[in-house]
Amino acid sequence: MTTLLQQIANGLVLGATIGLIALGYTMVYGIIQLINFAHGEVFMVGAFGGLAVYRWVLPESVRGDWYISLPAMLVGGVVVAVVIAVLMERFAYRPLRNAPRLAPLITALGVSVALQEAIRLWFPNADAAQPFPRVFIDAQVRLGDVSIPASGLLLIVVSVILAVLLQTYISRSRMGRAMRATSQDRDTARLMGVNPDRVIVLTFVLGATLAGIAGVLYGSFITNVDNSIGFQNGIFAFTAAVLGGIGSLRGAVIGAFIIGLIKSLGGQYMPGGTQYDYVWIFVVLILVLVFRPQGLFGEAERVRA
Amino acid sequence: MSRFTGLIPLALVRPFNALGGLLLLVAAMLPWATFLLNDGPFPEKSTLQYFDAPFELTGFRWHLLVFGVVALVTTFVPLRGKDRVLRALGWGGLVIGLVCGYFIAENGGGFGAITAADGASAFGSVVAVLGGLLLILGSMAKPLDEIPEWPTSLFGLTGMAARLEAYAYLIVAFAGVLWLVTQTLTAGGIGGAAFPYAGPIFLAFLGFAGGLLGALHGIGLTRWVSHLSEKHRAFSIIVLLACAFLLPFPFTGAGSQYWMQVAAVIGVYAATAIGLNIVVGLAGLLDLGYVAFMGIGAFVAANLSGAVASQVGLDLPFPVAALIAAVIAGIFGAIVGSPTLRVRGDYLAIVTLAFGEIFTRAAQNNIGELTGGASAIPGVPQVTMFGTAFNEKITLFGAELPSGVLYYFMIVLVVGAIMAVFANLKNSRMGRAWIAIREDEDAARAMGIRTGKAKILAFLVGAMLAGLAGAIFVHKLGTASYDSFKFLESVTLLAAVILGGMGTIPGAVLGASLLFVLPEKLREFDDFRLFFFGLALVFIMRFRPQGLVPDRHRRAELAGETAEGKPIETEEEQAVLEHEERGHAGPSAPKEDRA
Repeated sequence: MTTLLQQIANGLVLGATIGLIALGYTMVYGIIQLINFAHGEVFMVGAFGGLAVYRWVLPESVRGDWYISLPAMLVGGVVVAVVIAVLMERFAYRPLRNAPRLAPLITALGVSVALQEAIRLWFPNADAAQPFPRVFIDAQVRLGDVSIPASGLLLIVVSVILAVLLQTYISRSRMGRAMRATSQDRDTARLMGVNPDRVIVLTFVLGATLAGIAGVLYGSFITNVDNSIGFQNGIFAFTAAVLGGIGSLRGAVIGAFIIGLIKSLGGQYMPGGTQYDYVWIFVVLILVLVFRPQGLFGEAERVRA
Repeated sequence: MSRFTGLIPLALVRPFNALGGLLLLVAAMLPWATFLLNDGPFPEKSTLQYFDAPFELTGFRWHLLVFGVVALVTTFVPLRGKDRVLRALGWGGLVIGLVCGYFIAENGGGFGAITAADGASAFGSVVAVLGGLLLILGSMAKPLDEIPEWPTSLFGLTGMAARLEAYAYLIVAFAGVLWLVTQTLTAGGIGGAAFPYAGPIFLAFLGFAGGLLGALHGIGLTRWVSHLSEKHRAFSIIVLLACAFLLPFPFTGAGSQYWMQVAAVIGVYAATAIGLNIVVGLAGLLDLGYVAFMGIGAFVAANLSGAVASQVGLDLPFPVAALIAAVIAGIFGAIVGSPTLRVRGDYLAIVTLAFGEIFTRAAQNNIGELTGGASAIPGVPQVTMFGTAFNEKITLFGAELPSGVLYYFMIVLVVGAIMAVFANLKNSRMGRAWIAIREDEDAARAMGIRTGKAKILAFLVGAMLAGLAGAIFVHKLGTASYDSFKFLESVTLLAAVILGGMGTIPGAVLGASLLFVLPEKLREFDDFRLFFFGLALVFIMRFRPQGLVPDRHRRAELAGETAEGKPIETEEEQAVLEHEERGHAGPSAPKEDRA
């Protein structure tokens, strides 16, 4: 029983990370119908941005104070992630907006590979896993028999709060209304005075902000990062977004927690153990795509070319 | 139309071109490096101290000389398609200049090496770059001419005589291709410590080859040859195979063991790329886990080969094992393809990616004791037929051929067969169904195509080809490891197909060759390989989505051109231009009209 609860706790932490990434996937897909393969790399770059701030910006004296170093790293991670995402949108995706559907997908793949390699090549020593500082309170929080690292708990809390904030922003604010309008019909939205380019950039910025925050928090949770964390978690996040119904924010978060639980419970209870935990996620992905492509909360599939 | 159109006035076009050609010519005669570099003199006597006989030019300097002379002549001769020729020569010269200049500056300590230092001057690369730029600007000042059409028979022959004439041209053309291939393979030698300049010389040679082919394309020669070879397909396949068989003979210069190794590996990837081309290029189904099928073929073949590490304990002859490998890979292909019945477009790409990842994971964990896990399946025996192991040296027609040449021959045969399969499939009922599905699945279905069957068949055929290639690959390599079949290999193959041109055979072969020869030549950049692959995907999709050798349909779809290669918008723009000329009263006139 304790094992089960412990695995559920682990699954929730992973789900929180994936959820923050999945929100970016689902928003971008909702607006420009692009599977932004490189979004996982934005998350990875965010983690490295936070690491860079810790190593080269923060003075020794304040590194131990988490209430200084953690916000600083979050800002660093978010800034790097947002810059990368905006550049990517501007120079890789925007020119292809009216191209056949496969073209931007291949571009996204290219951006993803290039970003991974760029970090490996040019971030000092990043050809091996880099230790990530334990900036947040380095303690285990005990809930009954279950213990969660404080940083894991922080990840869950932040993820839920940000998801709620994002949902509120998109459903209440003026810009959120513009985003929804653009995702329904870009041309009509333009006629109504919405600037789709601005809306799309904003979508990328919001997604990258969440991914950057997720990167830094995830880094301080697992305490070492390498250039492949983005690809793996990106695929998980994409699976979560699809499971929840791509385009739906609520679906992405719930899907992410389900995926997190599948991974941790599958690794515990399914044959093959943790070596195959990854496989169960892909099996779920394939089953969902085949039998319920609109996902749990998505609308029925629109006709797409 | 291009963004350079109208950048320079038409009156200056000819002076620009003439000056550009002249500069290329001069650049060939100038020294290129002011001092001796640490790695030894830059090749082709281009270092100042080694520069004694200005007219005995070799290598890239000879290429530049040729380009310069041709550009000068072309500028003043009425020739149809000449601005395309000039543009190609300009790009070629620019690449040669940039590549050599960059390497000299980067290797030899900075800007002084390629300009002037220690009282010595060596402006070769700078002048070549300038000349190339002038030619490009000059040739792009106005919309490009159409590529001229050539008659099938140049002498107006008919019947048998015309056929023989065409055969003669084809033999010459393919001999030229053979020459270009061997020159490309051997240009600069093998990358590594022994040949410090393999990279730049090879890239400069690519610039030359590209410029040459571009110029030939501009005057309509390549189109004419491809037209001829399509007309006499059987004959051209025979000649092409003969050329491929001639490659390992000593007189070509590529007949060493090393190049046979490289050529065999390229062949394996080319075969796989053609298979992927069926799935992606013809049927338009993006497959991101394609290398898994190659892996399945490889592991099946390894297990049936009698390798000590295999748990199956069977020792089948290679053709049988390869066939079984292909069939099993094909079955998996059909299984992976089955979601295509319900899943479309980018979702399908993700399903294939997921499958690829599952394969890698399973192979890594030695699923069913079949893959050897992290320790792989070592010691896969060499293919042996008629008592000869395929890695032995053989003597043929009195010439001693290097070891590994039998693998090369086998690969050539397999690639030839796969090409034939692809060409026939493409023009078959099924191939047209695939293309229709790629263009518009709903319309295809409405036309009575059974899309589900067609898509699964595409996956099945593609996977079988990959499985076959995998079986050869594992015997050639001697080891079957999950490491050879990871996601990045899928990306590389995809990049090969896209770079070459989706839906065309020469494209897939060219793409695979480039992507697997370049790392051999550019050892010092090996670390950057994947980074450049990623960037290349982005840039190709942005600037040339139809690839190097575009498919006619594909071009219509991706590049906004008609199937004949003319830009679709030409007519519209022509109309706009005419309109502007009619209302000609300076650029401000239209605004006043509107007001």
